[in-house]
Amino acid sequence: MPVIAAKRTLRSHPSSPPRKSPRRCTAATPNSTPTKNRLGGADENQADPAAVKPKWNPKDGEQLKRAKMALHLSTAPSSVVCREEEQNMVLEFCKGCVEHQKAGSLYICGCPGTGKSLSMEKVKDKLLNWAKEEGLPLPDVLSVNCTTLTNTSDIFTKQILGLNQTQGKKVSALPLQQLQNMYSQKSSVKNMTLIVADELDYLITKDRAVLHDLFMLTTFPFSRCILIGVANAIDLADRFLPRLTSLNCKPIVVNFRAYSKDQILKILEERLNEFPYSVFQQQALELCARKVAATSGDMRNALCICGSAIEMLEAEIRESACNLNTSLEEISSSRQNFATAPDFMKKREFDTVKTDHMARALSKTYRSPVVDTIQSLPHHQQIVLCSSMKHFRGAKKDAILGELYKSYVGVCKSCLIPPAGILEFSNMCRVLNDQGLIKLGQSREDKLRRVSPKIDEGDITFALQGIRFFQNCL
Amino acid sequence: MAATPSKFLQTPSKPKLRSQSNPKSSPVVTPDTPQTLYPRRSTRAKSLLFDAPKPPHTPLEISLTTPKRRIRRSIDCVDQDSGEDKATTSKISDKNKAPVVDASKKKKNGKNSIEVSFAPVTPASSEKASTRKREGEGGVVTRAKRRKSENREKSAKLPQRRVYYTKVVYDGGEFELGDDVYVKRREDASSDDEDPEMEECRMCFSSNDEVMIECDDCLGGFHLKCLRPPLKDVPEGDWICGFCEARKMGMEVQLPKPPKGKKLVRTMREKLLSSDLWSGRIKSIWREVDDNYWCRVRWYTIPEETSVGRQPHNLRRELYRTNDFADIEMESVLRHCHVMTPKEYAKASDEGDDVFLCEYEYDIHWHSFKRLADIDNETENGEEHDSDEDWNVDKESDSDTDEDVEYEKENIKNTQSKPSTSHHLAANLQKGQFFGLQKIGTKTIPQHVRSHKQTDLERAKATLLLASLPKSLPCRNKEMEEITAFINGALSDNQCLGRCLYIHGVPGTGKTMSVLSVMRSLKSEVDAGNIKPYTFVEINGLKLASPENIYKVIYEALNGHRVSWKKALHLLNERFVEGKKTRDEADRPCILLIDELDLLVTRNQSVLYNILDWPTKPHSKLIVIGIANTMDLPEKLLPRISSRMGIQRLCFGPYNYQQLQEIISSRLKGIDVFEKQAVEFASRKVAAISGDARRALEICRRAAEIADYRMKKLISNPDCVTAGKGLVGMVDVEAAIQEMFQAPHIQMMKSCSRVSKILLTAMVHELYNTGMGETTFEKLAMRVSCFCTSNGEVFPGYDTLLQVGCRLGECRIILCEAGAKHRWQKLQLNFPSDDVAFALRDCKDLPWLSKYLM
Repeated sequence: MPVIAAKRTLRSHPSSPPRKSPRRCTAATPNSTPTKNRLGGADENQADPAAVKPKWNPKDGEQLKRAKMALHLSTAPSSVVCREEEQNMVLEFCKGCVEHQKAGSLYICGCPGTGKSLSMEKVKDKLLNWAKEEGLPLPDVLSVNCTTLTNTSDIFTKQILGLNQTQGKKVSALPLQQLQNMYSQKSSVKNMTLIVADELDYLITKDRAVLHDLFMLTTFPFSRCILIGVANAIDLADRFLPRLTSLNCKPIVVNFRAYSKDQILKILEERLNEFPYSVFQQQALELCARKVAATSGDMRNALCICGSAIEMLEAEIRESACNLNTSLEEISSSRQNFATAPDFMKKREFDTVKTDHMARALSKTYRSPVVDTIQSLPHHQQIVLCSSMKHFRGAKKDAILGELYKSYVGVCKSCLIPPAGILEFSNMCRVLNDQGLIKLGQSREDKLRRVSPKIDEGDITFALQGIRFFQNCL
Repeated sequence: MAATPSKFLQTPSKPKLRSQSNPKSSPVVTPDTPQTLYPRRSTRAKSLLFDAPKPPHTPLEISLTTPKRRIRRSIDCVDQDSGEDKATTSKISDKNKAPVVDASKKKKNGKNSIEVSFAPVTPASSEKASTRKREGEGGVVTRAKRRKSENREKSAKLPQRRVYYTKVVYDGGEFELGDDVYVKRREDASSDDEDPEMEECRMCFSSNDEVMIECDDCLGGFHLKCLRPPLKDVPEGDWICGFCEARKMGMEVQLPKPPKGKKLVRTMREKLLSSDLWSGRIKSIWREVDDNYWCRVRWYTIPEETSVGRQPHNLRRELYRTNDFADIEMESVLRHCHVMTPKEYAKASDEGDDVFLCEYEYDIHWHSFKRLADIDNETENGEEHDSDEDWNVDKESDSDTDEDVEYEKENIKNTQSKPSTSHHLAANLQKGQFFGLQKIGTKTIPQHVRSHKQTDLERAKATLLLASLPKSLPCRNKEMEEITAFINGALSDNQCLGRCLYIHGVPGTGKTMSVLSVMRSLKSEVDAGNIKPYTFVEINGLKLASPENIYKVIYEALNGHRVSWKKALHLLNERFVEGKKTRDEADRPCILLIDELDLLVTRNQSVLYNILDWPTKPHSKLIVIGIANTMDLPEKLLPRISSRMGIQRLCFGPYNYQQLQEIISSRLKGIDVFEKQAVEFASRKVAAISGDARRALEICRRAAEIADYRMKKLISNPDCVTAGKGLVGMVDVEAAIQEMFQAPHIQMMKSCSRVSKILLTAMVHELYNTGMGETTFEKLAMRVSCFCTSNGEVFPGYDTLLQVGCRLGECRIILCEAGAKHRWQKLQLNFPSDDVAFALRDCKDLPWLSKYLM
């Protein structure tokens, strides 16, 4: 009873005053030095564990939905943490261009799921706010996702539409020529244009003309565009735009590195801090951050894994509700008082997402499907894989289907099993090729097709070693 | 002179009023004076003018409106009173449009014959008609109530039979299978019986003899003189009235109100387009034992009643065909209308006011659209339609036979007891039961064979067909629960989070069937009100001409509009990324099922990127389920695409023998024709080779066919009746497995000639002795000669041996060079020598071959 009362008391005050006051002090002093910022952060770190949050109720549908919503990919957080340095770099570059009325180009690269597009959204908002404060003319902002262009040269059409200018004289000219003519002569319009081209590598053609012309637009004497390209490849500028270096207009490269363990943990905590309760155990979040940072550093993966862990907790609660009903019936039949204590203990066990929920979600995500697939194959297909492994052992890298069939017949004979016909053997090889276990080439004659393995020999050995039938063959 | 025309106008109106109240009787009365015939012709000609339909708003069909205008002009010339003008215009019409005038004259004659049938009758029959009308009004029910009353009546009269018809003359109209009709919607709507002969002008609210024009937007009729400014001639092409033009500019327009004491009467077309009537197509007509006539109709719907509402590209007279059927009484049927395909609609010239366009079918369960041309191209629907036609025709001719009627009624009962949730499912259900094929060839089968019931073996064969869908899907409960949890997790009450699920597995393991089964169970939850409604779109990657066409298919299924794939990509981006919606009803979750997902992989994979990137947007409400065979498709994709695909994976492993046994047993539930060991034998055999459920079903069906053939052979031989069993045993299953798994080249070698067998044996022996892969014809001939000498066979000669070798080479049993090389011709085996040994070792004609085959 006192515990329940304490929970209710804590919930009536969703925000504790001591937790918010350090932020207000930090915000109240805009001229604070970096040393003070670090001290403020340290205060926050010390204050957070001190403030004990109440446990959340997973059975409440509303709280569950909001928790899932916070961890969804489409929910943009209020501030992009762990990317301040990159954002400031891009923002200073754009500020310089707007202030001095000169064009420039920038290239942003990084792995998927590292916050490139999200940071660009924040930079756009900050740039507009800064220009408004400084009294400069507001730049036009144009966002283009290059995968939605049906033709690579459509980006110039979008650029002209974004400029909101119509020149009736040269309607017949190409959009690229219109832009080049516009930037070659002085114009009365003072606005700069910020162009963010996402997935820039979809503009790569055989002669790379579109990409080259796009970056060359910034070299015209009266050009007023600021070009920001976003893609995954690190060496896109070096590999596809070598002539820009000789013309002294190579874009500046900003690299978004993969998230580290501390960064992932910080981002997850920042997303979950808006709740007055704690959804995850601290160890569970740390386990997720370490695992994702070790494999890919992809924030999308981390968010999906946390959502999957919540669903596992939800399934466990649903299963526990059935057991609880059964135990309640037993209690009513036996009418014993000591039985209420296990129910109370059961209820307390389902209040947070624990390490084992996170471990199951991680294993579900990162488990290799090769071993499971091999173990669930039919018997003769396993024999085919075993014979192909024996055949490829040594110096050989590929074989003809006829040779593989002879090896398969040999394995069947040694185990006293009647082998399948060669047509059935071809069908089995085709099925294995569809699943991605072997690679089957094309040929006029069926028995002359080339076969090569696509999975590791150790995987086959590991998958089949538990079966007694294959102990002699391996 | 002025008084005479008014008298002429009054005379035809009275007979019409009386004829409407007495439609049943049809005595022929000769008109009294020739003067009364002339005004009727002119009246009918006037109604042709404003009843002409408008073509769709496409530039290709603008030219088609020109001949219609000319037809109208020639009719105008005929109607003018002036003698001089008549003479002049008759010359012009004779020169230019002589055949058109002849056609219109023929139509006038047809109209006159209809007029004669509505002549006045005696008062006694009028009393009968009024009594019948009152009874009919009491029986009118709404669509939902109509089904209940129909079920109630059917349960009461279950043991009795019904008589089916192809054509029926009912209440003054002839109704046939395949006709489109108006159907009453409200129970006590007295205005449903009102059907004005002529449409009234929207300005002066009268229908006189002057020329009228129809607005293409609101379909209202206007006199040429009543317009502001008045028109002298009917203009070419499309025409919109001033009120619609003003409304399009955003102004508020008030239509003129009718004068006091006069009521605005609407035509049936107007009632249908304003949701006061229904329209449907008659599928079957029958008469119950209490002499009530019923019919089964397939409903049409107007664009306002679909989930996305009326869209800008919808024409004013456009309807959608649905997959909703209902049984209604013939009392509710009012009269005919004409629902046409786009081609027929473009050619329609003077069919009347009741002309509509239908281009798409609307699925009332999944809220998706499908083009009628695509549906008609499918062979299943074509076969089904042909079967229905044959069945209906044969049914009518056999309606007097008690056994046939009872047998057909049983089938109808079975068919109607199962709910047809979708068009595709209904077609499969009928196809699986051989619904239409029972009547093909009825006239050539003797009586006793036709009337016999299906045996257990025949039912087993029908159940084991790949096309027949089982009621439940065994051995995939865990996977189906996972799919259900995935979709339920995405469909919340207030919001829908975009998600992706990737399903992979080998062919024949029930991937697509599991997803469709989950969708069917979710649909029942939507009907119960537990889940918010959603849109379901199913796409197969193999049916797309190119991967980019998936945009066109998705947009057409969601909006019922066909555009190019580039425009479709732009519009889908507006919907999923920017959150633009046409109506509030369109703001619902969308579940997209993509089968054969790996075929969408292009060189730069932009198609997959777009489809998998849409669920990550805040306003998309899109759930994507991808199905493919390959296990490592996410690893093969670009990193940015696999990052957006998410972590939801579901693997369908091959069936093991216990699962296959359960699948076959669940299909054969209630049919006890298989031995238990036979089913287990087939399951183990297939589970060891491929784990494909299709293969297992095919083997069992083939075994049932073999057993059925054996039983029929025994029945024809009465002496051995007691020796045969009625069950499918191990022998039958083994025979089916032999047929399915044995290689055809072994069967070929077993059945070839003696010289061929000797040649093959000699070849195996020669290759074994020399240890090489090929030999020459000279050495082979020497070996054959030794075999023949040692075993007492006649040597066939070198030329015969060469021909036999070349023929074996043509069959690809051996690989050989051209025969012109003769003794230096090179030969080699195309199959392993063990296959030749296996095929020829047990030869009865040549037992000595086994000595040389190791």
